[in-house]
Amino acid sequence: MSGPWVEKYRPQNLENIVGQTHIMDLLKNYVDEKSMPNLMFTGPAGVGKTTAALALVKSILGEYWRQNFLELNASDARGIETVRTNIKNFCRLKPVGAPFRIIFLDEVDNMTKDAQHALRREMEMYTKTASFILSCNYSSKIIDPIQSRCAIFRFAPIKGQDIIKRLEYIAKEENFEYEDSAIQIIVYFAEGDMRKAINILQASASMGEKITEDKVNDVVSKARPRDINDMITKALTGDFMGARDSLRETMVTQGTSGEDMVNQIYQDIVKRAMEGKMDPDIYINLIEAIAQTDFRIREGANPRIQLEALLTKFL
Amino acid sequence: MRWTDKYRPKAFKDIIGNGKQKKEIEAWVENWKNDIPQECLLLIGPAGTGKTSIAHIIASNFSEFIELNASDKRSYDIIMNTVGESATTQSLFSNERKLIILDEVDGIHGNDDRGGTRAIGKIIKTSHHPMVMTANDFYSKRLTSIKPKCKVIKINKVHTNSINALLKKICKEEGVIADPVAIKELAKRSNGDMRSALNTLQVIADDSKKLELSDLDTVSQKDNTNNIFDSVRRVLKSKSIDKIKKSMMLDEDPTLVMEYLAENIPREYEKPEEIKKAYEMISEADLYFGRARSSRNYTYWRYATDFMGIGVALSKEETYKKFTRLTGSMAFALMGRTRGKRALRDRIAEKMSKKLHVSNSVAISMFPELEIMFENDELAYEIASYLDFDDDEIKRFRNRKIPKKVIKKMEKRKLEEKAKTKVFKESSLNVAIENKDKTEKTSQIEKNTESENLKKDKKKKYSVKSENENKNNNQKNTENKDKKEKKETAQKSLFNF
Repeated sequence: MSGPWVEKYRPQNLENIVGQTHIMDLLKNYVDEKSMPNLMFTGPAGVGKTTAALALVKSILGEYWRQNFLELNASDARGIETVRTNIKNFCRLKPVGAPFRIIFLDEVDNMTKDAQHALRREMEMYTKTASFILSCNYSSKIIDPIQSRCAIFRFAPIKGQDIIKRLEYIAKEENFEYEDSAIQIIVYFAEGDMRKAINILQASASMGEKITEDKVNDVVSKARPRDINDMITKALTGDFMGARDSLRETMVTQGTSGEDMVNQIYQDIVKRAMEGKMDPDIYINLIEAIAQTDFRIREGANPRIQLEALLTKFL
Repeated sequence: MRWTDKYRPKAFKDIIGNGKQKKEIEAWVENWKNDIPQECLLLIGPAGTGKTSIAHIIASNFSEFIELNASDKRSYDIIMNTVGESATTQSLFSNERKLIILDEVDGIHGNDDRGGTRAIGKIIKTSHHPMVMTANDFYSKRLTSIKPKCKVIKINKVHTNSINALLKKICKEEGVIADPVAIKELAKRSNGDMRSALNTLQVIADDSKKLELSDLDTVSQKDNTNNIFDSVRRVLKSKSIDKIKKSMMLDEDPTLVMEYLAENIPREYEKPEEIKKAYEMISEADLYFGRARSSRNYTYWRYATDFMGIGVALSKEETYKKFTRLTGSMAFALMGRTRGKRALRDRIAEKMSKKLHVSNSVAISMFPELEIMFENDELAYEIASYLDFDDDEIKRFRNRKIPKKVIKKMEKRKLEEKAKTKVFKESSLNVAIENKDKTEKTSQIEKNTESENLKKDKKKKYSVKSENENKNNNQKNTENKDKKEKKETAQKSLFNF
């Protein structure tokens, strides 16, 4: 056991990456040729974008990959300043012991437009010494000039059976017994997100010898904040101020992102409707409002304000 | 002459409030005078509470002092050249210590003052002289590396009554005829900031020699929140487009005004229908602020202002005839209150993002599962040491510390494993020890092919040896090595699969 399983069982070469076989075949060509264009990996969370990038980098750069590789993710400072200095300086240097250098920028959709523009110049200036791998959730948030300079690979959510295989493999490696139905439930909740699936698996495994259906359900319900349910109940019963307070608590203190909040509110509403606790007409109106909120947040509005406004629709 | 300078305290006894802190500082000075070197002093507190005054009073106890404040450029080179030089040298003519004052250290700018904090860290380490720093923001990122090296003293806001008394005294000395109610109001509005209170008083009363309540409205206080509240009240209470348009013309960040409006909508409006409509308008305004931001097209602001002003005003059916207590944005208050908590959260996320190749927000989304994993003592220890968490960070995920017993057990197990693998590879003579305590991990290691074992052998021998030499110091080191090896094993088995 060494730390979280998500890292321990991160596939280290392209052959072992689950799902995306199509993409992996193409990427393997780059390894054979020892050259690659600028790449862009797009797709939802937990489908193997970072894993593919790291594996590709290791295969192409070989032994000296650490020296010739720069990884910057969304939490690193990536303003225009970084692009102009750090990335530029890295590109300028000659690769040592490898055909070229690789820069991996994770979650490029979170970079500012200015930084993206600065990046675009660098992508064409240093083609001889450096290649870029960009990853993002939504390719629509990337400026066109960058998209046009990249080969774009669209990663799909990982299929249920692939996740099952992987989870079973991990459980076996870690010497845990499991119920087949438990794995099924994990797959259902993970929604094609391998990272989430493995996290749920490890959390369930930490609670005892055998991974059972009950334990998985326990983990999933605990990991999904109860607050969301409470918040919606408060709003539906007319206590707007109370609902707004819980919303702020969840977003400000726990740091849940606006996107996650929308997802969880959506899931909660769907659950209520399926259990017959909600009038169909109200349900449709609420879904419309949620969709609207989702759109506005993506358009660049302030997620907290938008969600507060969404809560008023529940009154 | 500015009254803030004229009435600046000259000695410790003149300082208002913060009695306990004062004593600590006096003791610090006393110790220096008796040639007992002290830690560097870091005074943290809001504006106008007397930090700089204290620093200067301290300075009056020493023969010389050097000061560097926010108005000076404070990059690495500049700090080292000015302060760094004198920090390690002594004055030519006297043996006395000289004081180094660095004002507003949290104001060191990331870009223009590159390397400033690093220079300060270096000076703290090497200086033979007393040093005092001041800062406003306890949680500032720039202080994280400095704080642990200093004696941190928190200077608190001065109580309204103390300010009230001070203002009265000054009015008397300056011959100002003042309405006691006005003085009280002025003290209250200054919100613990003596400098701002004194400045306001001087502006009003320096020439006229009188202070009345009505004067306070003409002179703008440090913050404009009162004006914001007027606008908010107007929007919530009125339906006249003309009046509202005028009240929305105010010298404030419009998104801040929006926050204040949103905060108070459900306090004033009572019918759900009204709240819904009004909030829809806020949401619409916010959308256009967002669009303005992302497209740099600030003409969008005029729509946003109309939405949040007139739109919100017209959402009510009728004006309520009641008094509503308006408040500032509670969301901001919450952010302020939970700042330490959020800083901790971000620190954890940062550690995770490095090790797990994910961004901070993805790391945060993994917290709930981690919380469950941390209920298991042994797993908690494994993960915490893998991610290099400290005690505070561990406490984020579980209520109590990991029991010492478990830590000991895990550490022991690791050592044994290492010894075991060594024994296993060198010969099978010591099978007895091996059988004594078999864990599932040995089986994993046994999976290794013989050739790889040989290759690793050297490395392990070294680590076991060093352990014996200095168990405590090297424990961490070997642990890391151990982990690395295990990772390799895992990878290896993955490939085999």
